Amino acid sequence: MAAVEELSEPDDLTADEREAVQHQLFRLADDEFVVAERYTEWQVKAPTLESDLAFSNIAQDELGHARLWYDLLQDWGAEESELIWERDPSEWRHSTLAELPFDEGDWADPVLRSYLYDVAEDIQLRALQDSSYPRIRDRVGKILGEEDYHREHAANWLERLCEEEESRARVQDALDRLFPHALTLFAPTDEAVEERIDELGIRSEPLVTMREEWLDEVIPFLESLGLSVDDAELPEQYDVHHSQLELPEHTGRDQSHTDAWFDLHDDFTHTYQELGRTSAERIMKDPDDE
Amino acid sequence: MIWEVFRQEKSGDYHKHCGNVHAPDREMALLFAEVQHGRRKPTNSLWVTPQKEIGEVDTEDTAFGGTTDKSYRWAMTYNFEAAASEVEESESEQASAERERKAQIEGGS
Repeated sequence: MAAVEELSEPDDLTADEREAVQHQLFRLADDEFVVAERYTEWQVKAPTLESDLAFSNIAQDELGHARLWYDLLQDWGAEESELIWERDPSEWRHSTLAELPFDEGDWADPVLRSYLYDVAEDIQLRALQDSSYPRIRDRVGKILGEEDYHREHAANWLERLCEEEESRARVQDALDRLFPHALTLFAPTDEAVEERIDELGIRSEPLVTMREEWLDEVIPFLESLGLSVDDAELPEQYDVHHSQLELPEHTGRDQSHTDAWFDLHDDFTHTYQELGRTSAERIMKDPDDE
Repeated sequence: MIWEVFRQEKSGDYHKHCGNVHAPDREMALLFAEVQHGRRKPTNSLWVTPQKEIGEVDTEDTAFGGTTDKSYRWAMTYNFEAAASEVEESESEQASAERERKAQIEGGS
Protein backbone atom coordinates (compact mmCIF):
# COMPACT_ATOMS: atom_id res chain seq x y z
CA MET A 1 0.00 0.00 0.00
CA ALA A 2 1.29 3.44 -0.87
CA ALA A 3 2.67 5.47 1.98
CA VAL A 4 0.02 7.84 3.25
CA GLU A 5 0.51 11.29 4.53
CA GLU A 6 0.14 11.91 8.22
CA LEU A 7 -3.05 13.79 9.11
CA SER A 8 -2.87 17.04 11.03
CA GLU A 9 -3.93 17.89 14.53
CA PRO A 10 -7.73 17.76 15.12
CA ASP A 11 -8.24 21.49 14.63
CA ASP A 12 -6.30 21.60 11.37
CA LEU A 13 -8.20 18.87 9.51
CA THR A 14 -10.21 19.80 6.43
CA ALA A 15 -13.98 19.24 6.70
CA ASP A 16 -13.70 16.04 4.63
CA GLU A 17 -10.86 14.70 6.72
CA ARG A 18 -12.66 15.49 9.94
CA GLU A 19 -15.81 13.74 8.76
CA ALA A 20 -13.81 10.62 7.87
CA VAL A 21 -12.04 10.54 11.24
CA GLN A 22 -15.33 11.06 13.06
CA HIS A 23 -17.05 8.22 11.19
CA GLN A 24 -14.19 5.91 12.09
CA LEU A 25 -14.37 7.00 15.73
CA PHE A 26 -18.14 6.57 16.00
CA ARG A 27 -17.83 3.06 14.55
CA LEU A 28 -15.38 2.19 17.30
CA ALA A 29 -16.87 4.09 20.23
CA ASP A 30 -20.52 3.18 19.66
CA ASP A 31 -19.73 -0.53 19.19
CA GLU A 32 -17.79 -0.68 22.44
CA PHE A 33 -20.30 1.29 24.47
CA VAL A 34 -23.39 -0.55 23.28
CA VAL A 35 -21.93 -4.05 23.42
CA ALA A 36 -20.77 -3.32 26.99
CA GLU A 37 -24.20 -1.98 27.87
CA ARG A 38 -25.72 -5.29 26.74
CA TYR A 39 -23.04 -7.42 28.44
CA THR A 40 -23.76 -5.80 31.80
CA GLU A 41 -27.24 -7.34 31.67
CA TRP A 42 -25.51 -10.60 32.61
CA GLN A 43 -24.20 -9.15 35.83
CA VAL A 44 -25.42 -11.39 38.67
CA LYS A 45 -27.17 -13.56 36.05
CA ALA A 46 -24.33 -15.49 34.45
CA PRO A 47 -24.28 -19.26 35.13
CA THR A 48 -21.69 -19.14 37.93
CA LEU A 49 -20.08 -16.48 40.10
CA GLU A 50 -16.83 -16.95 38.19
CA SER A 51 -18.36 -16.54 34.75
CA ASP A 52 -20.26 -13.53 36.06
CA LEU A 53 -17.08 -11.80 37.20
CA ALA A 54 -15.18 -12.68 34.03
CA PHE A 55 -17.93 -11.38 31.77
CA SER A 56 -18.55 -8.23 33.83
CA ASN A 57 -14.83 -7.59 33.68
CA ILE A 58 -14.94 -7.83 29.90
CA ALA A 59 -17.84 -5.36 29.86
CA GLN A 60 -15.76 -2.98 31.98
CA ASP A 61 -12.87 -3.31 29.53
CA GLU A 62 -15.12 -2.42 26.61
CA LEU A 63 -16.52 0.61 28.45
CA GLY A 64 -12.96 1.73 29.07
CA HIS A 65 -12.23 1.41 25.36
CA ALA A 66 -15.38 3.37 24.50
CA ARG A 67 -14.15 6.11 26.82
CA LEU A 68 -10.85 6.34 24.93
CA TRP A 69 -12.65 6.71 21.59
CA TYR A 70 -15.34 9.16 22.80
CA ASP A 71 -12.54 11.21 24.28
CA LEU A 72 -11.07 11.69 20.80
CA LEU A 73 -14.47 12.82 19.51
CA GLN A 74 -14.40 15.55 22.15
CA ASP A 75 -11.46 17.15 20.32
CA TRP A 76 -14.01 19.09 18.28
CA GLY A 77 -15.83 20.57 21.24
CA ALA A 78 -18.55 18.03 22.03
CA GLU A 79 -18.94 17.05 25.68
CA GLU A 80 -19.05 13.40 26.73
CA SER A 81 -22.65 13.90 27.83
CA GLU A 82 -23.58 15.15 24.37
CA LEU A 83 -21.94 12.16 22.75
CA ILE A 84 -23.52 9.55 25.01
CA TRP A 85 -26.46 10.69 27.12
CA GLU A 86 -27.90 13.36 24.87
CA ARG A 87 -27.23 12.08 21.38
CA ASP A 88 -30.35 11.00 19.58
CA PRO A 89 -30.56 7.19 19.30
CA SER A 90 -31.07 7.53 15.53
CA GLU A 91 -27.58 8.99 15.22
CA TRP A 92 -25.65 6.05 16.69
CA ARG A 93 -23.46 3.99 14.39
CA HIS A 94 -22.82 0.71 16.23
CA SER A 95 -23.35 -2.62 14.51
CA THR A 96 -26.75 -4.20 15.19
CA LEU A 97 -24.87 -7.20 16.65
CA ALA A 98 -24.16 -5.02 19.69
CA GLU A 99 -27.74 -3.93 20.33
CA LEU A 100 -29.74 -7.17 20.01
CA PRO A 101 -31.44 -8.21 23.25
CA PHE A 102 -30.63 -11.47 25.02
CA ASP A 103 -33.20 -14.12 25.83
CA GLU A 104 -33.29 -14.77 29.53
CA GLY A 105 -30.78 -17.42 30.54
CA ASP A 106 -29.51 -17.93 26.99
CA TRP A 107 -25.81 -17.99 27.88
CA ALA A 108 -24.85 -19.32 24.44
CA ASP A 109 -25.75 -15.94 22.95
CA PRO A 110 -23.36 -13.66 24.87
CA VAL A 111 -20.58 -16.25 24.53
CA LEU A 112 -20.99 -16.51 20.76
CA ARG A 113 -21.67 -12.81 20.37
CA SER A 114 -18.51 -11.87 22.19
CA TYR A 115 -16.55 -14.34 20.06
CA LEU A 116 -17.87 -12.88 16.79
CA TYR A 117 -17.41 -9.36 18.09
CA ASP A 118 -13.94 -9.74 19.58
CA VAL A 119 -12.41 -11.46 16.56
CA ALA A 120 -13.74 -8.58 14.44
CA GLU A 121 -12.52 -6.00 16.93
CA ASP A 122 -9.04 -7.45 16.86
CA ILE A 123 -8.93 -7.28 13.06
CA GLN A 124 -10.25 -3.71 13.03
CA LEU A 125 -7.82 -2.53 15.70
CA ARG A 126 -4.84 -4.05 13.91
CA ALA A 127 -5.86 -2.11 10.80
CA LEU A 128 -5.56 1.07 12.90
CA GLN A 129 -2.08 0.43 14.25
CA ASP A 130 -0.55 2.35 11.36
CA SER A 131 -3.34 4.91 11.10
CA SER A 132 -2.44 8.21 9.48
CA TYR A 133 -4.31 9.90 12.34
CA PRO A 134 -1.85 9.88 15.25
CA ARG A 135 -4.47 10.28 18.00
CA ILE A 136 -6.12 7.01 16.93
CA ARG A 137 -2.82 5.21 16.37
CA ASP A 138 -1.54 6.09 19.84
CA ARG A 139 -4.47 4.44 21.62
CA VAL A 140 -4.69 1.17 19.73
CA GLY A 141 -1.90 -0.66 21.55
CA LYS A 142 -3.43 -0.08 24.96
CA ILE A 143 -6.74 -1.54 23.82
CA LEU A 144 -5.25 -4.50 21.95
CA GLY A 145 -3.51 -5.47 25.19
CA GLU A 146 -6.89 -6.30 26.74
CA GLU A 147 -8.37 -8.09 23.78
CA ASP A 148 -6.51 -11.41 23.99
CA TYR A 149 -8.36 -12.26 27.18
CA HIS A 150 -11.71 -11.54 25.57
CA ARG A 151 -11.09 -13.85 22.63
CA GLU A 152 -9.66 -16.59 24.83
CA HIS A 153 -12.63 -16.34 27.17
CA ALA A 154 -15.15 -16.58 24.34
CA ALA A 155 -13.35 -19.37 22.46
CA ASN A 156 -12.84 -21.46 25.62
CA TRP A 157 -16.52 -21.20 26.49
CA LEU A 158 -17.58 -22.04 22.94
CA GLU A 159 -15.39 -25.14 22.88
CA ARG A 160 -17.00 -26.36 26.08
CA LEU A 161 -20.57 -25.48 25.14
CA CYS A 162 -20.14 -27.39 21.89
CA GLU A 163 -19.01 -30.59 23.59
CA GLU A 164 -22.57 -31.72 24.23
CA GLU A 165 -25.47 -31.92 21.86
CA GLU A 166 -27.99 -29.90 23.84
CA SER A 167 -25.74 -26.93 24.48
CA ARG A 168 -24.29 -27.09 20.97
CA ALA A 169 -27.85 -26.79 19.62
CA ARG A 170 -28.25 -23.62 21.66
CA VAL A 171 -25.05 -22.19 20.23
CA GLN A 172 -26.28 -23.10 16.74
CA ASP A 173 -29.55 -21.24 17.42
CA ALA A 174 -27.60 -18.20 18.50
CA LEU A 175 -25.40 -18.48 15.43
CA ASP A 176 -28.37 -18.61 13.06
CA ARG A 177 -29.74 -15.51 14.71
CA LEU A 178 -26.54 -13.50 15.18
CA PHE A 179 -24.49 -14.21 12.08
CA PRO A 180 -26.23 -11.81 9.67
CA HIS A 181 -25.95 -9.07 12.30
CA ALA A 182 -22.29 -9.86 12.83
CA LEU A 183 -21.75 -9.09 9.14
CA THR A 184 -22.85 -5.52 9.84
CA LEU A 185 -19.65 -5.07 11.85
CA PHE A 186 -18.08 -4.53 8.43
CA ALA A 187 -20.94 -2.57 6.87
CA PRO A 188 -20.22 0.96 5.68
CA THR A 189 -21.49 4.02 7.54
CA ASP A 190 -21.61 5.75 4.18
CA GLU A 191 -19.88 4.38 1.07
CA ALA A 192 -18.20 7.65 0.13
CA VAL A 193 -16.95 8.40 3.63
CA GLU A 194 -15.66 4.84 4.08
CA GLU A 195 -13.71 5.17 0.84
CA ARG A 196 -12.24 8.40 2.11
CA ILE A 197 -11.23 6.69 5.38
CA ASP A 198 -9.22 4.21 3.28
CA GLU A 199 -7.76 6.83 0.94
CA LEU A 200 -6.62 8.99 3.83
CA GLY A 201 -5.01 5.97 5.46
CA ILE A 202 -7.01 6.36 8.66
CA ARG A 203 -7.12 2.55 8.56
CA SER A 204 -4.90 0.28 6.53
CA GLU A 205 -7.49 -2.30 5.43
CA PRO A 206 -10.80 -1.63 3.70
CA LEU A 207 -13.96 -3.08 5.25
CA VAL A 208 -14.28 -5.76 2.58
CA THR A 209 -10.79 -7.11 3.22
CA MET A 210 -11.32 -7.12 6.96
CA ARG A 211 -14.61 -8.96 6.57
CA GLU A 212 -12.95 -11.66 4.49
CA GLU A 213 -10.21 -11.99 7.07
CA TRP A 214 -12.89 -12.33 9.74
CA LEU A 215 -14.86 -14.94 7.75
CA ASP A 216 -11.64 -16.88 7.18
CA GLU A 217 -11.06 -17.01 10.91
CA VAL A 218 -14.51 -17.53 12.40
CA ILE A 219 -16.01 -20.00 9.91
CA PRO A 220 -13.30 -22.70 10.21
CA PHE A 221 -13.29 -22.33 14.01
CA LEU A 222 -17.08 -22.59 14.31
CA GLU A 223 -17.17 -25.55 11.92
CA SER A 224 -14.46 -27.28 13.91
CA LEU A 225 -16.84 -27.18 16.88
CA GLY A 226 -19.54 -28.99 14.92
CA LEU A 227 -21.49 -25.85 14.13
CA SER A 228 -22.85 -25.12 10.72
CA VAL A 229 -22.44 -21.67 9.30
CA ASP A 230 -24.36 -22.65 6.17
CA ASP A 231 -27.52 -22.87 8.22
CA ALA A 232 -26.84 -19.49 9.72
CA GLU A 233 -29.25 -17.73 7.41
CA LEU A 234 -26.37 -16.71 5.21
CA PRO A 235 -27.54 -14.63 2.33
CA GLU A 236 -28.06 -16.68 -0.84
CA GLN A 237 -25.40 -14.85 -2.75
CA TYR A 238 -22.99 -15.47 0.10
CA ASP A 239 -19.50 -15.53 -1.26
CA VAL A 240 -16.54 -14.55 0.85
CA HIS A 241 -14.84 -13.04 -2.15
CA HIS A 242 -17.79 -10.95 -3.13
CA SER A 243 -18.29 -7.47 -1.80
CA GLN A 244 -22.08 -7.48 -1.90
CA LEU A 245 -23.11 -9.61 1.05
CA GLU A 246 -26.74 -9.25 1.89
CA LEU A 247 -27.09 -7.57 5.23
CA PRO A 248 -30.05 -7.50 7.60
CA GLU A 249 -32.67 -4.80 7.11
CA HIS A 250 -30.88 -2.56 9.61
CA THR A 251 -27.11 -2.41 9.74
CA GLY A 252 -26.66 0.09 12.56
CA ARG A 253 -23.65 1.58 10.81
CA ASP A 254 -25.92 3.69 8.58
CA GLN A 255 -27.88 4.81 11.66
CA SER A 256 -30.78 2.43 10.98
CA HIS A 257 -31.47 0.22 14.00
CA THR A 258 -33.69 -2.55 15.30
CA ASP A 259 -36.46 -1.63 17.76
CA ALA A 260 -34.42 -3.23 20.53
CA TRP A 261 -31.88 -0.41 20.27
CA PHE A 262 -34.43 2.28 21.04
CA ASP A 263 -35.57 0.36 24.13
CA LEU A 264 -31.99 -0.08 25.26
CA HIS A 265 -31.28 3.61 24.72
CA ASP A 266 -34.34 4.53 26.81
CA ASP A 267 -33.06 2.24 29.56
CA PHE A 268 -29.54 3.57 29.83
CA THR A 269 -30.49 7.24 29.51
CA HIS A 270 -33.43 6.87 31.91
CA THR A 271 -31.65 8.05 35.05
CA TYR A 272 -29.93 10.92 33.25
CA GLN A 273 -33.31 12.10 31.94
CA GLU A 274 -35.16 11.51 35.18
CA LEU A 275 -32.67 13.55 37.18
CA GLY A 276 -32.78 16.32 34.58
CA ARG A 277 -29.03 16.22 34.09
CA THR A 278 -27.26 18.36 31.53
CA SER A 279 -23.75 17.08 32.07
CA ALA A 280 -22.06 13.88 33.20
CA GLU A 281 -19.81 13.62 36.22
CA ARG A 282 -16.24 12.83 35.22
CA ILE A 283 -14.49 10.73 37.79
CA MET A 284 -11.37 9.88 35.83
CA LYS A 285 -8.51 11.89 34.42
CA ASP A 286 -8.54 12.82 30.78
CA PRO A 287 -6.97 9.91 28.88
CA ASP A 288 -4.42 12.36 27.43
CA ASP A 289 -3.12 12.94 30.96
CA GLU A 290 -2.84 9.29 31.92
CA MET B 1 -14.88 -28.51 40.83
CA ILE B 2 -12.90 -26.22 43.13
CA TRP B 3 -9.43 -24.97 42.27
CA GLU B 4 -7.19 -23.36 44.88
CA VAL B 5 -5.44 -20.24 43.63
CA PHE B 6 -1.95 -19.06 44.53
CA ARG B 7 -0.70 -15.61 43.63
CA GLN B 8 2.88 -14.46 43.20
CA GLU B 9 3.24 -10.70 43.46
CA LYS B 10 6.59 -10.37 41.77
CA SER B 11 9.13 -12.62 40.15
CA GLY B 12 11.06 -14.60 42.76
CA ASP B 13 8.38 -14.33 45.47
CA TYR B 14 6.57 -17.38 46.82
CA HIS B 15 3.14 -18.11 45.40
CA LYS B 16 0.79 -17.46 48.30
CA HIS B 17 -2.66 -18.94 48.65
CA CYS B 18 -5.25 -16.26 47.94
CA GLY B 19 -8.59 -18.07 47.52
CA ASN B 20 -10.30 -20.39 45.08
CA VAL B 21 -12.47 -20.58 41.99
CA HIS B 22 -15.08 -22.99 40.67
CA ALA B 23 -14.18 -24.23 37.20
CA PRO B 24 -14.63 -27.42 35.18
CA ASP B 25 -10.98 -27.71 34.16
CA ARG B 26 -7.52 -26.17 34.49
CA GLU B 27 -7.81 -23.84 31.51
CA MET B 28 -11.07 -22.30 32.72
CA ALA B 29 -9.75 -22.14 36.28
CA LEU B 30 -6.80 -20.04 35.09
CA LEU B 31 -9.11 -17.82 33.04
CA PHE B 32 -11.37 -17.18 36.03
CA ALA B 33 -8.50 -16.82 38.49
CA GLU B 34 -6.99 -14.13 36.29
CA VAL B 35 -10.03 -11.93 36.80
CA GLN B 36 -10.89 -12.95 40.33
CA HIS B 37 -7.46 -12.90 41.91
CA GLY B 38 -5.10 -11.14 39.54
CA ARG B 39 -7.09 -8.07 38.59
CA ARG B 40 -6.94 -5.82 41.62
CA LYS B 41 -3.61 -6.70 43.22
CA PRO B 42 -0.11 -6.65 41.76
CA THR B 43 0.35 -10.04 40.16
CA ASN B 44 3.25 -11.62 38.35
CA SER B 45 1.97 -15.19 38.18
CA LEU B 46 -0.94 -17.37 39.32
CA TRP B 47 -1.07 -21.09 40.04
CA VAL B 48 -4.23 -23.16 40.22
CA THR B 49 -4.49 -26.66 41.59
CA PRO B 50 -7.47 -28.94 42.16
CA GLN B 51 -8.55 -28.66 45.78
CA LYS B 52 -8.72 -32.45 46.12
CA GLU B 53 -5.05 -32.74 45.18
CA ILE B 54 -4.01 -30.80 48.27
CA GLY B 55 -2.87 -32.91 51.21
CA GLU B 56 -3.43 -31.61 54.72
CA VAL B 57 -2.24 -32.40 58.22
CA ASP B 58 -3.51 -30.16 61.02
CA THR B 59 -3.37 -29.71 64.80
CA GLU B 60 -6.03 -32.35 65.29
CA ASP B 61 -3.72 -34.90 63.75
CA THR B 62 -0.41 -33.88 65.26
CA ALA B 63 1.40 -31.58 67.65
CA PHE B 64 3.54 -29.54 65.31
CA GLY B 65 7.12 -29.29 66.59
CA GLY B 66 6.46 -31.87 69.32
CA THR B 67 5.40 -31.25 72.92
CA THR B 68 8.76 -31.12 74.71
CA ASP B 69 11.24 -28.28 74.97
CA LYS B 70 13.31 -28.19 71.80
CA SER B 71 15.26 -25.02 72.38
CA TYR B 72 18.47 -27.00 71.92
CA ARG B 73 17.67 -26.89 68.22
CA TRP B 74 18.14 -23.16 68.02
CA ALA B 75 21.31 -21.93 66.43
CA MET B 76 22.23 -19.83 69.51
CA THR B 77 25.14 -21.69 70.99
CA TYR B 78 27.88 -20.35 68.77
CA ASN B 79 27.65 -16.68 69.74
CA PHE B 80 31.21 -16.10 70.96
CA GLU B 81 31.44 -13.22 68.53
CA ALA B 82 28.82 -10.90 67.09
CA ALA B 83 26.51 -12.82 64.81
CA ALA B 84 25.72 -11.76 61.27
CA SER B 85 22.51 -9.79 61.07
CA GLU B 86 20.82 -12.65 59.20
CA VAL B 87 21.61 -14.98 62.10
CA GLU B 88 20.33 -12.43 64.62
CA GLU B 89 17.11 -12.12 62.68
CA SER B 90 16.73 -15.84 62.34
CA GLU B 91 17.26 -16.29 66.07
CA SER B 92 14.70 -13.74 67.11
CA GLU B 93 12.27 -15.22 64.60
CA GLN B 94 12.79 -18.68 66.09
CA ALA B 95 12.45 -17.32 69.63
CA SER B 96 9.18 -15.60 68.98
CA ALA B 97 7.88 -18.59 66.99
CA GLU B 98 8.71 -20.81 69.93
CA ARG B 99 6.88 -18.48 72.33
CA GLU B 100 3.81 -18.52 70.12
CA ARG B 101 3.95 -22.29 69.74
CA LYS B 102 4.16 -22.78 73.51
CA ALA B 103 1.34 -20.37 74.11
CA GLN B 104 -0.73 -22.29 71.61
CA ILE B 105 -0.03 -25.64 73.27
CA GLU B 106 -0.76 -24.24 76.73
CA GLY B 107 -3.86 -22.44 75.54
CA GLY B 108 -5.06 -25.60 73.81
CA SER B 109 -4.52 -27.99 76.76
